[in-house]
Amino acid sequence: MRTIFTFITILMLFGCESEGELTREKIGAMVVSSEATLLFSGTFEPEGGNKVTGTAHIYKEGDSYKLSLKDFSISSGPDLKVYLSKTNRPESFVNLGSLGSGSSQSYTVPEGVSFATYPYVLIHCQQFNHLFASAALKSN
Amino acid sequence: MKIKFLIVLSLFFVFNLARAQGCSDAGICSIGSSFNGNDEKKNNSIEFATILGKGDADVNYVSAYIGYTRFFNEKWSANAKVTSSYANGSFGGRGSVGDVFLTANYVPVATGSYKWSFTSGLKIPFNQSNLKINDHPLPMDYQSSLGTFDFLGSVNLNYKNWDFNYAVQLPVININANSYFSEYSGTADFVTTNLFERKPDVLLRGTYTINTTNRKFSFKPNLLFIYHLGQDTYEDIYGQRKSIAGSEGLTVNGNLIAGYHFASGNSIEASIATPFVVREVRPDGLTRAWTAGVSYKVRF
Repeated sequence: MRTIFTFITILMLFGCESEGELTREKIGAMVVSSEATLLFSGTFEPEGGNKVTGTAHIYKEGDSYKLSLKDFSISSGPDLKVYLSKTNRPESFVNLGSLGSGSSQSYTVPEGVSFATYPYVLIHCQQFNHLFASAALKSN
Repeated sequence: MKIKFLIVLSLFFVFNLARAQGCSDAGICSIGSSFNGNDEKKNNSIEFATILGKGDADVNYVSAYIGYTRFFNEKWSANAKVTSSYANGSFGGRGSVGDVFLTANYVPVATGSYKWSFTSGLKIPFNQSNLKINDHPLPMDYQSSLGTFDFLGSVNLNYKNWDFNYAVQLPVININANSYFSEYSGTADFVTTNLFERKPDVLLRGTYTINTTNRKFSFKPNLLFIYHLGQDTYEDIYGQRKSIAGSEGLTVNGNLIAGYHFASGNSIEASIATPFVVREVRPDGLTRAWTAGVSYKVRF
């Protein structure tokens, strides 16, 4: 009985995770077509004492738009998200979801988003409401 | 007695097969009857349990808990319970410790056949309901905790073989940091629960206890009514808070517990549960179509 009790206790104290079909692909692993048209670019600047390198690019691919991060690296954070924002602060934005882990990442921009209205790319920690980096998009 | 039990058991399985849905709530459901026989010479008990369940879409669950109860005297007792959950489905498998429940129970001096007791306590989450797999945010169905500090309170009445519990589960502090967006997930099986906020629940449970003549076996069919008091909300991709239509309303669960009591005072219980009525949308992930569990209680 003591063995069973100990076994269950150990099971409860330690978390575990394994990938499934919906989580196997890395976040941001989508590839932008070489035929896509580059519309906007910007260089990331650090915020709040964090470190960041890399650039942000907006491509038009068919009828959709893609945000691509290149040569990208950033200080680690607990719950970093990618925003398109009206300003360089996370006040009015479009949340593109969780930030991936590679140096090259791409995200689909939801339909109807105007880059004249949302000319900034932000990397923001949603969980603790802390801005990590911003990039102002400029027309190419 | 035997015939009565067989009728109850048959009815339960008829309902179970006809409406294979299930028991839902991880927190409020666990407020138990406070009149379980306390051996006067043994003031402590430890209970551990494992529960299997089937949820929405293709999610399966293995849950566990460990609880400790201390009877200080005839009137006062306290309980601490730690829960954990492992969910497995198309997103993969994710398990973690969930919440700790701390409750105190007061039993006034009984007058006549009616015995009252009062329970109050807290649910404290071990995480912010934002467990991930390979950095992918997961729906609430895969989270081991709702990510809220809750107040729990219940009034319990025992009359002969009947037990009734009326309870509330009130989220007091929300630390839910879930970041799941349905539109970025690759499936429409689960609704968006980014920065999820949930509303309170109220519960009413009626239990009828059948003991065999030697009191070794007990059977406790019970009905559990849970009303979710309002629509839960989330923050959409534009940062706007949205209500989730259909997330309020009634859940009715049927549950059958069969127990065996050892001469030592220890006991083992098996339970199966399924809902007969469910809310239109259950974004909190409390979507068990059925559960089946075994628990063992050691008294000392």
